[in-house]
Amino acid sequence: MVVKEVLSIRGLKKSYPGVMALKGVNLAFKAGEIHGLIGENGAGKSTLIKILAGIVKPDDGEVTILGKSVQIRNSKDSSRNRLCFIHQELNLVTYFNAAENIFLGHSYPRRLRFFVDWKRLKAKTKEITDALQVRIPLDTPVSYLSAVDRAMVAIARAFAVSGDIYFMDEPATALTDIEKEKLFRVIKTLKSQGKTVVYVSHNLDDILDITDRITVMRDGTVVECRETLETTKDDLIRSMIGKSLESAFPSREGKAGAVVFKAGDIHNESIDGLSFDVRAGEILGIGGLVGAGRTELLETIFGARGKDSGTFTLNGVPFRPSSPRSAIEQGVVLVPEERRKQGLVLSRSIYENISMMSLGDISNFGFLNHRVIRNRSEEAGEKVRLKCSSYSNHVGTLSGGNQQKVVFAKTVLQEPKLLLLDEPSKGVDVGARFEIYSIIRDLASRGTAVIIVSSDFNEVLGLTDRILFIKEGRMVSLKDNIDMNQEKYLNCCYGRDS
Amino acid sequence: MKELVSQATTGHLTIRIVRTWGTFMGFLLLLIVFSAIRPDVFPSGRNLKNIIEQVATLAIVATGVTAVMVTGDFDLSVGSIASLVGIVAALLMKAGHGTFISVIIAMILGTSAGLINGLLIAYGGLSAFVGTLATMTAYGGVALIASNGTTIFGLPENFRFLGQESVAFIPVSVVIMILSLGVVYALLEQTTYGRRLYAIGGNEEASYLSGIRTKQVRFLSFGISGFFASLGGIVLTSRLHSAHPQAGSPFMLNAAAAVFLGMTAFREGEANILGTLLGVLIIGVMGNGLNILGINSYVQSILTGIIIILAVLLSSVAKKRA
Ligand SMILES: Nc1ncnc2c1ncn2[C@@H]1O[C@H](COP(=O)(O)OP(=O)(O)OP(=O)(O)O)[C@@H](O)[C@H]1O
Ligand SMILES: [Mg+2]
Repeated sequence: MVVKEVLSIRGLKKSYPGVMALKGVNLAFKAGEIHGLIGENGAGKSTLIKILAGIVKPDDGEVTILGKSVQIRNSKDSSRNRLCFIHQELNLVTYFNAAENIFLGHSYPRRLRFFVDWKRLKAKTKEITDALQVRIPLDTPVSYLSAVDRAMVAIARAFAVSGDIYFMDEPATALTDIEKEKLFRVIKTLKSQGKTVVYVSHNLDDILDITDRITVMRDGTVVECRETLETTKDDLIRSMIGKSLESAFPSREGKAGAVVFKAGDIHNESIDGLSFDVRAGEILGIGGLVGAGRTELLETIFGARGKDSGTFTLNGVPFRPSSPRSAIEQGVVLVPEERRKQGLVLSRSIYENISMMSLGDISNFGFLNHRVIRNRSEEAGEKVRLKCSSYSNHVGTLSGGNQQKVVFAKTVLQEPKLLLLDEPSKGVDVGARFEIYSIIRDLASRGTAVIIVSSDFNEVLGLTDRILFIKEGRMVSLKDNIDMNQEKYLNCCYGRDS
Repeated sequence: MKELVSQATTGHLTIRIVRTWGTFMGFLLLLIVFSAIRPDVFPSGRNLKNIIEQVATLAIVATGVTAVMVTGDFDLSVGSIASLVGIVAALLMKAGHGTFISVIIAMILGTSAGLINGLLIAYGGLSAFVGTLATMTAYGGVALIASNGTTIFGLPENFRFLGQESVAFIPVSVVIMILSLGVVYALLEQTTYGRRLYAIGGNEEASYLSGIRTKQVRFLSFGISGFFASLGGIVLTSRLHSAHPQAGSPFMLNAAAAVFLGMTAFREGEANILGTLLGVLIIGVMGNGLNILGINSYVQSILTGIIIILAVLLSSVAKKRA
């Protein structure tokens, strides 16, 4: 079979002050293939995709589609060339509903030329979501949707008009396995129709699972391009970070100590009578499906959500977090689920963001000690392998994974008693992920109690000591994490106790 | 200054310079143009001193408004607060109370008026625009009732000190202006409170989840705005040596205009004190220069509007090119 190149890129360059994001990239995608694009955080994957979407202007380079050289100056140009995108960061208008968001930027169906045809808009949206096999409430502003539903809206956007090449920049980070499978099914359908899908992810298992070829990028260049069938995970890791990783998770060590945190019969609108405890040095995973109340549980412990009844105890004394502020003051910190919405002030510098939680401790009577703040932020940043050209740059200029590292670095500064983690490694590359797991382990071994929620079951299985499974806000089971596997894990999530 | 320039981290060098220094260069251009047209009058030491004295009260009020606008809020009530404070101080002095104590009481009242804004907006959940629009009207009404709608003359002689006298050749009003700018500059740039204001302006939810008491911080920012509006009102009353129930009205739009102009300078899209000072100076120089050229005040308003649009356009065009 002769497969022709549908899109090729030659000598693509883009520099930002202090960094060259792309240093002359050459790449080609074929018709009917699923092409994996991987590389460390900051390697330039999103920049490449944003250039093809007409969002970022390249300094130099040529893009050829079906043998013809094309200019992509804006998003109109890219959709004229039948390119479709799912971008890494959800850019949704929060007070628009799903339908309005999905067709934003494409023309809305109209009546009498000027009026939006709401009926048809809704019908078309329904078609798209049905193809994805998801049910998203269509009449609610997306700000009220769950993180998963919001991610699905962003995904659905790529299918508002049909195209030939689909670029998906880490589309699955907020999804659970169930939604992910649905997405993969759609991707395979696209492939069978002869279309091309370029898929960016840090989940190498997914990459090996669905792609035909894989391109590895490092520091703004293409390192290599391989056939997936001839590749192993270890090969990929080695060409991404230049060395092998012996294991994906740090080894568990030490014994759990005294009980640090205890929840007794907690009730609120999403939680229905949960009781459990966490010991010093222990990592507790919360297992469950979307909507089980995992995020809500963490938010309740953090004081960001009220509770109707029940008690918390921290180190033996009652813990009554009236706000995140009071939780932090008592040594409880949260890495929130959505970094851009809840974790970061994008328009402020990296060191301001890292030091945000601990400003009060670092300052002298309310006056900032810039030198100490900078030093300590840089220290925390280096621990999580943050890659940036200067700590005074805005967080918004960082790559997605590096932004996530900033959110994590904030809590590292704190030496918390109880660390709450909601999807802590979202978008982080394999190397840095190991670093983050090591920090979590290290904090635990020094006596911090840790609770972690993650849609990546590997992460839960690899990192935790015990797993509390919940469903609809109620406890299903509490398991020691020994000889757990994917199947058992999923059974527990569904409440089918084995 | 090095710090400020490095804030603008994206885009090419020339565009970055235009973006951070464009408004400042526009200001220099204004000075050059007026000096070229009327070299005998405009650039004279006397006239420049005159300009600074004219803008001192606006600068004082605008420093407070800057603090509020850093969080993305807005304060429309500063003009009414300034007027009200002037009236109250004047009435107290007329009633025979000491000048000092009258000023202090009026200032406390004005600051409280600001805190009431904060209460309504931060804790009551009103939008800043609606909340201060309402209190602007209400405080303005109180000033009118208290003064019977007339100007209050015959204030004590020693009350001239703040607005009309000089210490070592520097007008007292200018000293107050410099102190106000300095205090708010330090507050915004050197304190944890300032950091928190900027953090809230960037992302309120993330700030809250990082342990910032967002309501309290916003509440206080309106108190700061109320305080400086009161101070501006007192200096203005002293300068005029009379209190008029609507004397402060021009502050409302001019202070906001100055902060907006300032947001186009030095930093991208963020209210900052140096920018506000620049905005105040632009408004002052425009007014003074056009007066010297004999251009009538209606035309002046049109030109001021055009200048604001130009500055904002210029900086946003520079932003897009990055
Ligand atoms: N607007 C910007 N201003 C300055 N630097 C930028 C900007 N956008 C991206 N960069 C830099 O360009 C480099 C490449 O970023 P890019 O987002 O393409 O990485 P990525 O491969 O997508 O990483 P990740 O896996 O973390 O998403 C990074 O060093 C990043 O800091
Ligand atoms: Mg990216």
